[in-house]
Amino acid sequence: MEYVNPEGLRLDGRRFNEMRQIVAEVGVVSKADGSAVFEMGNTKVIAAVYGPREIQNKSLQKKNDHALVLCEYSMAQFSTGDRRRQKFDRRSTELSLVIRQTMEACILTELLPHSQIDIFLQVLQADGGTRSACINAATLALADAGIPMRDLAVSCSAGYLNSTPLLDLNYVEDSAGGTDVTVGILPKLDKVTLLQMDAKLPMETFETVFALASEGCKAIAERIREVLQENTKQLEYRRAA
Amino acid sequence: MGLPDSSQDLSTEMEVDAFRRIFPLRFFERHLSESLRPDARPLGKARDTIVNPGKIIYNLTLIKVKLFETCHLVCIFFVCIGLVSTADGSALAKIGSTTMLAAIRMEVMTPSTDSPDEGCIALEFHMPPICSPTVRPGRPADAAPVISKRLSDTILSSGMIDLKELCLVSGKAAWMGYLDIYCLNADGALFDAALLSAVAAFSNLEIPVVALNDNGRIVAISGGKDEDNASIIEKKAVNKEKRKLTLKNIPFSLTCILHKKYILADPTTEEESIMDTLVTVVLDSSDQMVSLYKSGGTVLAYSSAVKSCVELARKRAKELKQILGEMDID
Repeated sequence: MEYVNPEGLRLDGRRFNEMRQIVAEVGVVSKADGSAVFEMGNTKVIAAVYGPREIQNKSLQKKNDHALVLCEYSMAQFSTGDRRRQKFDRRSTELSLVIRQTMEACILTELLPHSQIDIFLQVLQADGGTRSACINAATLALADAGIPMRDLAVSCSAGYLNSTPLLDLNYVEDSAGGTDVTVGILPKLDKVTLLQMDAKLPMETFETVFALASEGCKAIAERIREVLQENTKQLEYRRAA
Repeated sequence: MGLPDSSQDLSTEMEVDAFRRIFPLRFFERHLSESLRPDARPLGKARDTIVNPGKIIYNLTLIKVKLFETCHLVCIFFVCIGLVSTADGSALAKIGSTTMLAAIRMEVMTPSTDSPDEGCIALEFHMPPICSPTVRPGRPADAAPVISKRLSDTILSSGMIDLKELCLVSGKAAWMGYLDIYCLNADGALFDAALLSAVAAFSNLEIPVVALNDNGRIVAISGGKDEDNASIIEKKAVNKEKRKLTLKNIPFSLTCILHKKYILADPTTEEESIMDTLVTVVLDSSDQMVSLYKSGGTVLAYSSAVKSCVELARKRAKELKQILGEMDID
């Protein structure tokens, strides 16, 4: 099947280095300390952060002088096109762990000892790149909750089909059998926190795909920064009023 | 203990917040004696409603601020339909801050032998941990299965949906509708918002087109494709175009709190946590009572109190009917 036609257009009309449309909003769940919605094309994710709050299960606490970060990823029953999903399958558990470790690297946990930070992610619609959308949504939600972070954690995926590196795969491209590289970086510090790849790829091609994904991450970081600055302006307006 | 008046400076406003946390009941009763609630609503008024189909607005806080400047208004109520593209029908309902997202997926199944002409609806209500600080991951919320069952009973007993419309081939194939309602923000009156989102999702539902192929199995056909007409036996007109269900007797609900001699309509989580006697009345579009629910609580209600609740529910049903009507529902 042809995923990139001879003119360089993909199935949804994008070029190889174009991301899907991003919609990001902060402060959507009033009950949560911080929350955000992040959409990448048809993938829609809501993140809610509760914390810092008292540790609810002391047996999970490993380091006394650091905050405990918990993360739960779940997909809505109607989020995928095929069948209804089992609520807690292995993929959800794996993703919860991956996202938790990514966010833990970027939260300044030593500033909040003896406390717990909960990050909850709910996927409302899944069209490829849910992992990345979740990390981006979690970053926005943590910023909304006022939790101190080293940097914004942003994530984007890229793949390699029909001998072309492609940025931000959707579900159809992802299930095409090519490779899928998900990268999570801290843009200002220029450090990689998450790197996952499946399927085979020659080393040089990997470097091209990785560079493409990093570029995508930087673009998302710009967008996230804009959203947060706009939100701060609104807060300032409200406070003055 | 009187409350400081609004002309005082920031330091006394801090006291109000502390008072609200430490003596919540007295804080509320002080308001109730003036026939008001902390968010400036009169006792019998539900949180406000706006319908905005098509465009989803997630963040209401900005709009709330502008209104606060002008007329001390409350959170805005949104109903948006048609949002989840992976589902056959979906709707978002917001009462104040309480947000519910409902989505329906249709699958084909074999009907049971004692009702070969009827399809089936399976309803599930989820409260994911994002919705409230009291919901812990791994452990379902206490309220979720209760609301799930009540919703299921209400929708089926109201007769809103004629299960015979879900039949495809008598005795062999019928539609099974999986309705999932997710609470995205839990701020009181969960049942009301969930019921509203379910009704809106059914009104938005478009049943996919299917045909019966040679092997006697139902296959989906996407609109417009006319391949292999010879090998696909066309069904009757019933499946020729994407179909909407006819909804009659649409149920509308209102939850009230009884506290001493006051009746508060459409409580928030804060109010629900302090005052524990909830009464839910469900009426349908022809003003008949579908269900009445009062599950204990410290306040024992005289029948006059229950009648007042029904009156409030009647007014609310008119409001909701108008809102859904603006979204083109028959």
